[in-house]
Amino acid sequence: MKIIVCIKQVPDPTIVKFNIETGALDNIRYILDPVDEVAVSEAIKIRERDGGKVTVISLGPPRVEEALRTCLKMGADEAIHLCDEAFDNLDVYSTSIVLAKFVAKRQYDLILCGRESIDEGTGFLGAGIAEWLSLPLVTAVTRLDIFADTRTARVHRRLKGGDREILECQLPAVFTVESVLRKPVYPPLKTILAGLKKSVTKIDAKSLGIDPRSIEPATAVVGISQPKPRLKKTATIDSKLSAHERMKLLMSGGTQQKGSKTIEKAPQQAVTELIQFLIANGIISKQ
Amino acid sequence: MAGKDQEIPQQTSNSHSPEKNDTKGVWFIAEHKDGKLEKAAFLLAGECKSLAAKLGEETAAIIMGHQIKDLATEFAPYAIDKAFVIADKRLEKYTGDTYVDALEQVVNLNKPSIILFATTPMGNDLAPRLAARLKVGLISRYTEIEVAKDKKLTARRPIHGGKAQATVLILRKPLVATVDPQSLTLQKSSAVKEPQVIECTVNIDSKNNKTRLLDYLKADPCAVCVSEAEIVIGVGKGLACADNLKPIEELARILGASIGGSRRATDERWIVDERRIGLTGKTIAPRLYLICGISGAFHHTLSIKGSQLMVAINTDRNAPIAKLADLVLVGDMQQIIPELTKQLREVMNPTT
Repeated sequence: MKIIVCIKQVPDPTIVKFNIETGALDNIRYILDPVDEVAVSEAIKIRERDGGKVTVISLGPPRVEEALRTCLKMGADEAIHLCDEAFDNLDVYSTSIVLAKFVAKRQYDLILCGRESIDEGTGFLGAGIAEWLSLPLVTAVTRLDIFADTRTARVHRRLKGGDREILECQLPAVFTVESVLRKPVYPPLKTILAGLKKSVTKIDAKSLGIDPRSIEPATAVVGISQPKPRLKKTATIDSKLSAHERMKLLMSGGTQQKGSKTIEKAPQQAVTELIQFLIANGIISKQ
Repeated sequence: MAGKDQEIPQQTSNSHSPEKNDTKGVWFIAEHKDGKLEKAAFLLAGECKSLAAKLGEETAAIIMGHQIKDLATEFAPYAIDKAFVIADKRLEKYTGDTYVDALEQVVNLNKPSIILFATTPMGNDLAPRLAARLKVGLISRYTEIEVAKDKKLTARRPIHGGKAQATVLILRKPLVATVDPQSLTLQKSSAVKEPQVIECTVNIDSKNNKTRLLDYLKADPCAVCVSEAEIVIGVGKGLACADNLKPIEELARILGASIGGSRRATDERWIVDERRIGLTGKTIAPRLYLICGISGAFHHTLSIKGSQLMVAINTDRNAPIAKLADLVLVGDMQQIIPELTKQLREVMNPTT
């Protein structure tokens, strides 16, 4: 199995902040996107069983090399870095075209990527690559079974409420994975050390055969700003409250009165009212 | 795989150039289930109308499936202008390849300027496919679309997990976008008007279908991960001991709920770690969250804000959870839960 995994380097979402003064992101520490970590892990597991090769690719500025090295340390065989000044600030649409151009020149059985990145979360890349290369596509994969002998894959796709759909397709194919697919691998020291010795191959626009001027993005980010706070339904502050309570409510931006109701009755009556409430809200229905 | 290179678009030749402002109409995909439109479809209808008003264009619903003729009339209270009905035996069940083929044909014929999808399993799958097919960008989970004087569109959407928002300029029409229906409100129109139904016939070549649907796995609601469940029962300190979980499990089976809990409940080994809800556990967004004996420390409440309906059972009427919940039952959960189970049995169909 020759497996290509498209990865992305993202700012750690748990610590990144928006700085209002500078109008830019602060506290950026770049990591490998957690969902891509899952995709790389899955690729490594498949290779361990069926043999083959795991190639990780990423498009981005020089800093992306670090994320590719992380994948090599996890056990990937080869890392490709599509790096060119012309590729700066590409939107996901153009990125998918550049990646597809590269992938088209390679031999592959399987292309994996995350369903959506944790930073921008557009969820387009997999669909784009599948469309440009006319490959089968399954999104939101929670289980992936590869049958090397018949060159088919059987996959579970995530639906609402924990339901799953089972689909089958021929290889080569594109799968966008969910992070619940598996836990990321913990590579043994030997694999990490071997990964340190591997190198990242850099490819620029010229050697890919892409004229940078021909890249026409579909969208352009014109700015980032602080998210608008969600509109809160504020109620007039209850005059029966003490001054201290009222101050506290004002400071916290008003009360979030959701029309909450309190029932203080004997269990039997309380439950009857609760059930009426559930029926009124369409949670349960009468026989 | 060489030789497939020519299928990658040469971007200079694009049919949807921004200069040709010939796109017209704001469309949305109306999802339906068991012969009824989903609530998300009505929510999108309202959003669609307000966008169309800004653009000065018509609104249209797209209904795809098999035997769906009468669905369009359900839109009457929302005063949608048109309904494109794509009915075909091969569209009975959703498959990405056939749906995108059918949709592409109708889109290319009518050239809308905006196509909206809900962030459902189908919308999340179909929207990127359609965007790729039309060679346009995709705007996922937008919060706002603005229309400039020259009808150029800009969208705002949260990035970095909601810590910032990006303003994105749309360079090519149509705009394919997804929106979370839960962020929208129902907007019924003052005038009731049935949409003009346009029946579309499409060519569907089943050979183009590259994936085969084998089976559908219905989840056992009680076994589902709390983050995916529709109904969640949360237990906390008020449970007191592991033996008291039995009545909760019984209730969960009747309601079709998944059991989760606070840090206390997992630390005491009443429930497994995977079912912890809160800062160090899962984030949930169910239709109903039944909170039993959890006081509502922010470590827990931080992760339950997406719940549509919260019902708390607590002995303390002043517990912080009481401020957050839609309904508070003051009393001992050990008494209320068995009573609830008993009464639910009487009310509900025993099979559900």
